[in-house]
Amino acid sequence: MVHYKLIYFNLRGRGELARLVLHHQEVAFEDFRFEREEWPKYKAGTPFGQVPVLEVDGKPLAQSNAIARYLARQHGLAGQNEWEQSQADMYVDCIYDLISGTRPIIYETDKEKQKEILQKFLKETVNPHLEKLEQQLIKNGTGFLVGKSITWADLAYYSFFSPMTERFGDSVIDNSPHLKKLVEHVANIPQIKKYVETRPKTTL
Amino acid sequence: MLIETFYRQIGSEIVTNKSFKFSMAVYKLHYFDNPRRGHAELSRLILSQAGVPFEDVRFPHSEWPNMKPTTPFGQVPILEVNGQMLAQSNAIARYLARQHGLAGKDDWEQAQTDMYIENINDLLNAVAVPFVEKDPAKQKEMYGKFMTETIAFHVVAVEKQLKKNNTGYLVGDRLTAADLAYYALFSDFIEVKFGGAFLKDAPLLKSLLVRVRTSPNVKKWIDFRNSKYYPDGNE
Repeated sequence: MVHYKLIYFNLRGRGELARLVLHHQEVAFEDFRFEREEWPKYKAGTPFGQVPVLEVDGKPLAQSNAIARYLARQHGLAGQNEWEQSQADMYVDCIYDLISGTRPIIYETDKEKQKEILQKFLKETVNPHLEKLEQQLIKNGTGFLVGKSITWADLAYYSFFSPMTERFGDSVIDNSPHLKKLVEHVANIPQIKKYVETRPKTTL
Repeated sequence: MLIETFYRQIGSEIVTNKSFKFSMAVYKLHYFDNPRRGHAELSRLILSQAGVPFEDVRFPHSEWPNMKPTTPFGQVPILEVNGQMLAQSNAIARYLARQHGLAGKDDWEQAQTDMYIENINDLLNAVAVPFVEKDPAKQKEMYGKFMTETIAFHVVAVEKQLKKNNTGYLVGDRLTAADLAYYALFSDFIEVKFGGAFLKDAPLLKSLLVRVRTSPNVKKWIDFRNSKYYPDGNE
């Protein structure tokens, strides 16, 4: 049996998607977390000075999406054929862009300015994306983003939009009923629900 | 095994005359006509290296308002494959690399290839910030920081990986989309803009970049695109 060690901060952040993939498929792994202050200790041991890193029987793999994609592929959550796999990739890449867009918001200390940047981000980036996303979900017609069953793309949307609504309110996805339904569906999957209830409570 | 191809240009279409592996898919890659490389270039490099014909559609910005609603997420590049659409530059590149043997020989090598492509994506996102900065003095400072901090650090790290892999390539023992992605950023953009001084302590990365750009199919593409799209020498 292969041994997985996922190394990341004690945060959800860019490590959470890999954790969700593994929990959804009920694959055992070492969920290695460290606090921010300990980062200098681990940084030099990573391939590119970043985490998450996945060690597969000791061999390192970096980059959050490369990690989650590898795990999704190994454990049947990547799509039923190569075209579906590329569609799932496309959706996860969209989420990656959205995550990057939240950074200026998260790091803004002035509350008023933070609110302003958030509103701009929602209006100019998130809402246009959600409009298109609703069309794609309707077009696919199964409730899932790709094909007939859940993929890591659905987990990626849950992983991004669930904290977004927690932090900034339900109104973020109020106009996206299909996405809302998908996020709720993922939240209620027993393995996901159990993991979310028992995982460390972190701000990000 | 390198494929000898002969490119015959018809309008904006590149057609291989003779291809070892005949692809049944019809590819149409859509992107702006400017930037001339931008987020489409990695896919063009992959298709060219693999000797796969594709329609290289470059449309003027004036056409974008009409085109935008037809795209999955209001963005380009878009890959049209037999009438279906795929968005997101890296998803496209990854799909093409996989279809045409440039994504590593097994799942682990594919993951490594993905990792390197995503490294480049992060670096592109980082350089985008100074790229759009309007204040010239501030922009110069930001670019300087990008080179001396972000790029310098990454070059040391990737040189270490190249040494560890010990084949001259980033992944496995042959050229993959990972090497093409590093070429696209480091040679096509960084060397052109900032010169090659940043490679002085990275002999393995330096020789990899040379290996990529002199690889026959890649060289043919570079010569063709340079003569067609920037004959004045301006990138």
